[in-house]
Amino acid sequence: MTDFVRVLVICMFGLVIGLVASAYALSQPSPLDRVRLGAWEVEAHAGSIEADPYARARLERSGEIPLAVGEGLQLIARVDDNGRPLDSHCVYEVGPRVPAARYWTLSLVDLNGWPVENLALRYGFRSSEILRAGNGDFIIAVGAEVQPGNWLPIGAPEPFALALRLYDSPLGATAGAIDKSAVPRVTRVDCG
Amino acid sequence: MTAPNRFAEAAIAVAAALILAALVHLVIVLIAPFVATRDAFTRLEPLGGLNQTVALPRAAPAEKLTPYADPAVATAFCRYDLASGPIRVQAPASRAFASISFHTSRGLVFYALTDRAATHGVIGAVLGTPEEVRALAARDDEGAPSHDLRLAAPAREGYVLMRVFSEFPSLYSEAEAQARQLTCRPEPVPP
Repeated sequence: MTDFVRVLVICMFGLVIGLVASAYALSQPSPLDRVRLGAWEVEAHAGSIEADPYARARLERSGEIPLAVGEGLQLIARVDDNGRPLDSHCVYEVGPRVPAARYWTLSLVDLNGWPVENLALRYGFRSSEILRAGNGDFIIAVGAEVQPGNWLPIGAPEPFALALRLYDSPLGATAGAIDKSAVPRVTRVDCG
Repeated sequence: MTAPNRFAEAAIAVAAALILAALVHLVIVLIAPFVATRDAFTRLEPLGGLNQTVALPRAAPAEKLTPYADPAVATAFCRYDLASGPIRVQAPASRAFASISFHTSRGLVFYALTDRAATHGVIGAVLGTPEEVRALAARDDEGAPSHDLRLAAPAREGYVLMRVFSEFPSLYSEAEAQARQLTCRPEPVPP
């Protein structure tokens, strides 16, 4: 009887650990395909026939339609340049350059990937509409309060993420080859 | 029971639990694409019939269709089932970025074309099962080879997604109208 109980306990522990580990793993970019570039994370092969089981399982679970490798690349930042999680009470500056692409967009989403309601009704910026300095550099200010220049509002006092999409980028699945200095910096400026 | 024995038993129990945990984890990751009930295909499927082009709502806080959608990009899709033969997919190219991507019902993206691959302003391909693509190729006239791009799909069912980039907020409705021009039509196979 004690042997039976022992086996039962072992099975319960195995099951629970396996479930928790899976839930955690599938809420993250695939550990087999994750490339870190400064504050940004990329799953380089999620949008290709070579997507690994983790990337596929995560996509199927989230319902996301990935960008195909030939279309572009999506980079997600959940932390700033110093590795601190993005905080809705702070102001961040994103810029001044992005990797080569025909167009890019930067948008703010919650941790599940949904746009966040805000009074300005602004959910993102396009490369074709932002204000730039004379040399083409730009700064997008991310904050809850109105900011001068390109202001991307944080609509809710909750953790958030930034999504940078590069359309028609020559980088494609070679995301690992992107120079870290080519991705925008995510700098925490001030916390209220 | 002696102390070393107890220790060995505990170690075996922990190892057994961890091995079981690893197996559970492996099974979950591998079967997830086959049992997912909230995946993109399941969400898109009820929105339109086979070969019917449906524009997706613009990404906004109130539109919870698919996460990580870009509010600057208009999208439309059509669902395919190659059991009844190959389909011809066509979409107009534009000045800004436009693309069509081919997805299986299990969430695999197997091909994409952008407006850079357009001929005479049209991006297009003929999609079929590997057998259908071979059958089409076998019927080619050697004197006048077909200019179609033929794609062998790794699965019978899936969807084609069109993305059109809007350069400015005011151009979104134009981009959406362009995305709606995606067509997926059954391709007649010559006898």
